Amino acid sequence: MDKNSNPAADARAAATGLWKTFAASAAAMVIGLACLLQATAQGNAFTTETLRRTEVADAPTLVPDLAIHDAAGNSSTLRQLLAGGGRVWIVDFVYTRCQTVCTSLGSVFQKLQQQIQARGLEGQVGLLSVSFDPAHDTADSLGAYRDRMRMDPAIWRVVSLSSPLDRRELLDAFGIMVIPAPLGEFEHNAALHLVTGPGMLVRIIDYDDATLALETALAASP
Amino acid sequence: MSGGPWQRPSLWIGLTLCVLGSALSVPPWRSLIEQSMVWHMVVQMPMLVAGGWLLAGSGIKGLGMQRFADWNQYGLTGFIASQLIAAYWMLPLAIDRAVVLPQADALKLVSLLACGAMLKASFDRSPAVLQLFFVGYAVAMLSSAGVFLATTDRRLCNAYSLDSQWDAGSGVVALGIALGCAWAWRLFRDTRRARSPMLKPH
Repeated sequence: MDKNSNPAADARAAATGLWKTFAASAAAMVIGLACLLQATAQGNAFTTETLRRTEVADAPTLVPDLAIHDAAGNSSTLRQLLAGGGRVWIVDFVYTRCQTVCTSLGSVFQKLQQQIQARGLEGQVGLLSVSFDPAHDTADSLGAYRDRMRMDPAIWRVVSLSSPLDRRELLDAFGIMVIPAPLGEFEHNAALHLVTGPGMLVRIIDYDDATLALETALAASP
Repeated sequence: MSGGPWQRPSLWIGLTLCVLGSALSVPPWRSLIEQSMVWHMVVQMPMLVAGGWLLAGSGIKGLGMQRFADWNQYGLTGFIASQLIAAYWMLPLAIDRAVVLPQADALKLVSLLACGAMLKASFDRSPAVLQLFFVGYAVAMLSSAGVFLATTDRRLCNAYSLDSQWDAGSGVVALGIALGCAWAWRLFRDTRRARSPMLKPH
């Protein structure tokens, strides 16, 4: 501070500055908090995973109509398959070489298959595993996976993309992020995706909540 | 300190940190932050904040934000703004977005450099008590977020493996501790200078 300055004028200047500071701080606080709330879906989602689940529950999205093939080598498209049978589908994403999280997803699907069989819900709920590793998952690999998982073809289907170029579009549409892991494996966010007949992705549910997924699918089935 | 700003080491170290921090967002170095949460959260982000801090303190006209001094008495505005920026970049979804979207990554570079510069401007204008309030809050935020990242079994970032997240969590705790220590060191240094009769006669 200048030695020759007038203390009264200094105090006045400081007080004016203080109001400016309070205004600027309040503005920074309001803008900052608004940005944080906007980014987190009003404080509901702090991870990408919860955000995509919140967004899908609020506004269901149409899945892309990509060319696929099954273990028998039959070609079709994703929406055609989903439209077949007028069922609600519980969809998960796999690669057949997977030893880690897909194994637990596989056992979740096995349990769901048992429940669907036991309660005779074949006409209402279907299970669909989609491979995101089209380069590797040929019809033969899918067949081996189907046998290993003891899939009941009336309930549980496994398909792969016919064109590896569609992989990005598939993953983006469902909000899956795949990252390479050691030993040629992948790590990815895993969940149960509920898709209705016309190909609308309506809910994403944690794979620990298989029962909730089944009940939600039943409630959504026509 | 003597000489023009171009003779000060803080300017050159600051510039180096800014360049290195920004380079981590550009291929081929980008793969480091894409594959490792530690490189992203514990190396790149603090590097940018430190770079912004040093550039703001380098004496280059305008970078010290003296023009905004009236709006930043006691450093209050700068503290609030930088705290909010830091909080945003600790959100797992913000970290994911910076990995996936180049626009979000560019926003990260700019906002964290600004965060560092604002912190420097605010530190220079604030009494130790106010610094303690904000530094204490930042240390608490970093260490609790770090412990959570390091101990949870949930993968919080879709872009990173659980192993990478655990390592980053430990790193964030270390950052929190380092920040607290750096602040305490600075306070001791300034107190000693202030008491020294050579510099400030009472």
